[in-house]
Amino acid sequence: MIRSANPLAQEPRYELVTRVLRDNIRNGNLPQGLVLLEGPIAAVMQTSRVPVQSALRQLLDEGLIHRFDGRGYLVGSGQQTVTPIRHDIRDLQLDIPRDVDDALQTRGTWLHVYDHVEKQVAQCQIFGEFRIVETELAEYLGVSRTVVRDVMARLQERGLIRKNTSSHWIAGPLTARTLREKFELRSILEPAALRLAAPHIQYPEVEALQARIGSDPTLTPEYLSEALLELCIARAPNTELVDLIRSNRLLLSAVNRALSVLGLPRDETSIDQYQTLFQLIALHPIDSAAEYLRDYLSIIERRYLARMKIVAVVSVTGGFAPYLISQ
Amino acid sequence: MNAEPATHLSAPPQLPRRRLRVRGTSISLLAPIREQAEADLGFAVDFELLEFPTCQRVAAMEPEGYDVYEQCFHNLDIVWFWGALQPIDINRIAEWDNISDLAKQGGISKYASRGHGDAPVKKLYVQPGGFLGPKPSRHISMLPTIYNMDSFGYDTRVFGLGPDVRPSWSWLLDGRARGRIALVDEPAIGIFDAALAAEAAGELQFADIANMTIAEITALMNLLEDRRAQGYFCDTWRDGEEAASLVNGSSVAVQSMWSPVYGQFEPGHDYFLEAAPAEGYRAWHGGASLSRHTRGAELDMAYEYLNWWLSGYAGAVMARQGYYISNPVRAREHLAPEEWAYWYDGAAAARDLAGPYGNIVVRAGGRRSGGTHAERARRILIWNTVMDEYNYAARAWDRFVRRVRDGVAA
Repeated sequence: MIRSANPLAQEPRYELVTRVLRDNIRNGNLPQGLVLLEGPIAAVMQTSRVPVQSALRQLLDEGLIHRFDGRGYLVGSGQQTVTPIRHDIRDLQLDIPRDVDDALQTRGTWLHVYDHVEKQVAQCQIFGEFRIVETELAEYLGVSRTVVRDVMARLQERGLIRKNTSSHWIAGPLTARTLREKFELRSILEPAALRLAAPHIQYPEVEALQARIGSDPTLTPEYLSEALLELCIARAPNTELVDLIRSNRLLLSAVNRALSVLGLPRDETSIDQYQTLFQLIALHPIDSAAEYLRDYLSIIERRYLARMKIVAVVSVTGGFAPYLISQ
Repeated sequence: MNAEPATHLSAPPQLPRRRLRVRGTSISLLAPIREQAEADLGFAVDFELLEFPTCQRVAAMEPEGYDVYEQCFHNLDIVWFWGALQPIDINRIAEWDNISDLAKQGGISKYASRGHGDAPVKKLYVQPGGFLGPKPSRHISMLPTIYNMDSFGYDTRVFGLGPDVRPSWSWLLDGRARGRIALVDEPAIGIFDAALAAEAAGELQFADIANMTIAEITALMNLLEDRRAQGYFCDTWRDGEEAASLVNGSSVAVQSMWSPVYGQFEPGHDYFLEAAPAEGYRAWHGGASLSRHTRGAELDMAYEYLNWWLSGYAGAVMARQGYYISNPVRAREHLAPEEWAYWYDGAAAARDLAGPYGNIVVRAGGRRSGGTHAERARRILIWNTVMDEYNYAARAWDRFVRRVRDGVAA
């Protein structure tokens, strides 16, 4: 997950909203008697309504705003009677400090919520087909619809969701057929890319990694799979091919992570095979490395299929996030 | 502080009794087996008896809870790949060479049909990379023990009797039995009974019935749901006792069946017969495996128990409930000639025959449906199998079963 350098970005969203409203009440930008409504404030702050609700409650506690007969709150302590001023907050020139604005923007970007959502979406489809309700997701995460759309775009790009004929976002079901097709693509693309990459591989890097495999027990199959991509395959001078390989792998790694979270045993048996593979690459006869890679991919395909079968005995526990609707 | 009374007799030595823990199903965990094993082996044998789906789940996820796991080959796809078991060294199995070709080759002869799906040999030998396959090696995943060719049972008053009546799997979806049909609730078994019925009835066709596609599974589940909504199914069952009570309560006219259930009918249910289906049988093969955690003295005991299973007595007990054993020669030594003739050779019973618990399960003159062992084994149409899309199929199946059991309206 990418984190912002801005320290305010780590602050809860509602506190940022509270701060902006409080400052603007104090400096008179928000005049006494102004009607404050959640929706327009959320729009100005580019956030969802949930943090705005919390911020308004906070300001109420502080005595800076008060309730009245109508919808929303009035600026002011409420000790004197004021006539409600109805004015769209979007038309007022609010003072939003640049660092707070940046923090709100950064907090709003999809990157901060993406990993969490991806995990839930990858995991649910093991249990069948689900519809994702965008408004529920925005509510659940406390982010705007814009952010949710970014998240959905990323999930779609990773092959985790698709739109059905009625334009609903659908996840799953994850099937053996999906996995087989992904691996079919891998076994066509990756050995071919490896051949193209051969003149461009930094061989000392590969040798260094190969030396670590024997001595560093912390190296996981997932790490080695990434290293194979970055150090070798992605060196192919055909960016479209490399992009295709990357995106084809995304669903598989998401599934792999989801299965491990469900408590499936980890696949530790492939370390030796990676060692052989890196050895062949380091020795330069790239054709044998490419052939070995093809064989190896058919082995991990079988492992993935076997894992998909055993997941059948895992029962649904604790339900799914509220934005996921079982179909 | 008082000194110990000097006259106190020393307590008898409290040696913990040696104990072997066996987890399995009602198929093989029979009291007469446990009692004889304890007597012959000199250590305690604890049976933990569970229904199929639960048994499989806890065997996979809690392998520290047992030493020996008795189940079917098809669920090695779950339990083996979970990493719950350790390989069995065939050099430690005395009867290995006498185990039948059906287990070791996939058919009773070179030319016999292999059937669709996973014959036990496809999951028998441990292959490089931890996979299971048919290529012989010194290590196996499960010791083949009992097996059978399953079909369904039917009410002759509904479907008729005599040489012209040709039982077909399609009867499991037959309008004549509407409201009186039950299926076995185990997704790697019941779904095939339903699929065989759908294909035999001409409702659906499967490219490979033992490895259905998502579209085929969906079509099958839609068909079942349609029939369920029309009130075809009265129930599902999970073990022989439940199956027997459906017959004894006269609830079913046709249902999935296991062989021992025919011996559990109350008097007056002679009209409920075992089918020899025109299309062939759905077969299964059972066996015994070792937990990954078992070692040392427990591992030695486990091997003793495995060898005991193939030494004859257990095979004879199993024969009396209609199951075959992988090395029948030794079982024959423990069976009366009339018992062997009935169960293995398909001959008419020369006298009343008792089941595993001593009660009469076959009347004199009765004849086993389907004929001799060889005749039945040559007609294996499909083996119980965990399909590639098992996760999808099992969840769809569970939803269907829940609707049948809850009696959800259309």
